[in-house]
Amino acid sequence: MNGTLLWNGTALPFRAGETVASALTRAGVRHFGTTPQGQARALFCGIGQCQNCLVHDGTGLTEACLLPCRDGMALTDAGARHD
Amino acid sequence: MTDARILVVGAGLAGLAAAAALARAGHRVLVVDQALRPGGAVHRQPLPGGRSLASSAQARRWRALMAEVDAQGARIEIVCNTRFGGVDHTGTVLLTGEGAALINPRALVLAVGAREAVQPRPGWTLPGVTTAGALQTQIKTTAEAPAGRVLLAGSGPLLLALGAELVRLGRPPLAIVEAGRPFSRPLRSLGLPLSYMAEAARHLSRLLAARVPLLTGAHLTRISEADGALMAEVETRSGARRFAADRIGLHDGIRTNDTGLTDCAALPVLRLGDCREALGANAALADGRAGGEALAARLAGQPAPTASTTLAREASAQARLAQIYAHDGATRLAGLPDDTVICRCEMRTLADLRTLGPAPTTRQLRLDGRFGMGACQGRFCAEWVARIASPIAPHALGMPRWPARPISVADLLAAPDLTLGETK
Repeated sequence: MNGTLLWNGTALPFRAGETVASALTRAGVRHFGTTPQGQARALFCGIGQCQNCLVHDGTGLTEACLLPCRDGMALTDAGARHD
Repeated sequence: MTDARILVVGAGLAGLAAAAALARAGHRVLVVDQALRPGGAVHRQPLPGGRSLASSAQARRWRALMAEVDAQGARIEIVCNTRFGGVDHTGTVLLTGEGAALINPRALVLAVGAREAVQPRPGWTLPGVTTAGALQTQIKTTAEAPAGRVLLAGSGPLLLALGAELVRLGRPPLAIVEAGRPFSRPLRSLGLPLSYMAEAARHLSRLLAARVPLLTGAHLTRISEADGALMAEVETRSGARRFAADRIGLHDGIRTNDTGLTDCAALPVLRLGDCREALGANAALADGRAGGEALAARLAGQPAPTASTTLAREASAQARLAQIYAHDGATRLAGLPDDTVICRCEMRTLADLRTLGPAPTTRQLRLDGRFGMGACQGRFCAEWVARIASPIAPHALGMPRWPARPISVADLLAAPDLTLGETK
């Protein structure tokens, strides 16, 4: 089922079976936040290897490239959080 | 004797071929995969109801394998969206995600495929710069080219395949920047299997028809951001060129994806397919099947079956490809600007590495330099750190350990302990 997710409060559409990284990329979101060391978080390897695309899903940091989209899910950029 | 299942990690060609072979021998098999659908990197499936871009030969190969799996019925269970955390010294495996559990499998088959090597360059950490494989993943799942202008750079046949796919989707890449000179001595290619030559010819004819510049012996030396675009500086044999791109796909070869996958004395652990040796799809399928049969024989106390000839053939083809694409790209590492990020996880630069002295030990590299200590455990820097730190005889950057990836405490708590009551 297609649906909508919230990225930093903005509604973005996703397609059934899509990962969060895929939905964000298609919506033109490239910058997923900033690491504590000041580097941009963004999609890089796409297969859960590089830990570069971490986003905050309300409970903790998780790889956007592996995370399945769910209707109504609220995601925020991880900021400089290190949890 | 135990009735515990065999755990296969990875539902790609190698993992599913192994699962089918094991199930045919009477074993029950649990296959887990971190992705949302089986397929692995090669047979990554489109979104449900979406269009597949697989060639007819690829589609046939996948259908045939899935038919083998389906024929085993309930003996094979595939659980996606599930990650392998590691195996401890007692043989207990941690799975997180949808199939979260602590289990004691009878044997462990690691078939997690390959990952890409990407050589550091200034600007390789900018958003919009990804591995070529990440672009390919997007294309295969959505059946769409990524928005904007795409530049492909690095080295290896994947760049041609991806470029040709972009042409097919009506969005040719700006150029392919290839460090090697694979077309400079065409006679060398004659030793490749015909299927490799036919595939390369298909890709090349698409790229040439779309007039995509194939810059060989060329290097993408710097990426910067300007006016909302990624500016790529390229050194070619005939001078410098600049490209303004929206996405840049980097690829410097394929490596086994075995970081953090430790052995365990408490149970048989096998690595199969690209995770054992990166030899491509044909080899992964053959290795998975042969490995599954060998494991079944071992568990039954029978002699090992004869080895597959496919593997030797594919290994020799891959060795020839490596010769065809050979280039001196890695020697450029030493000439990178001091502020080039080498470790992406902790933003450690070439200057940070040089501060450690002329011949740093592993201990200095890790504890003082923090190289290989980030969340990716050195997957994307260890190779380059080792080459820069000791160019004559690169040494390994110490031992990555499990968990194979960061695991949250919440995920750990959510994994029910199914080892209780199991006999070992």
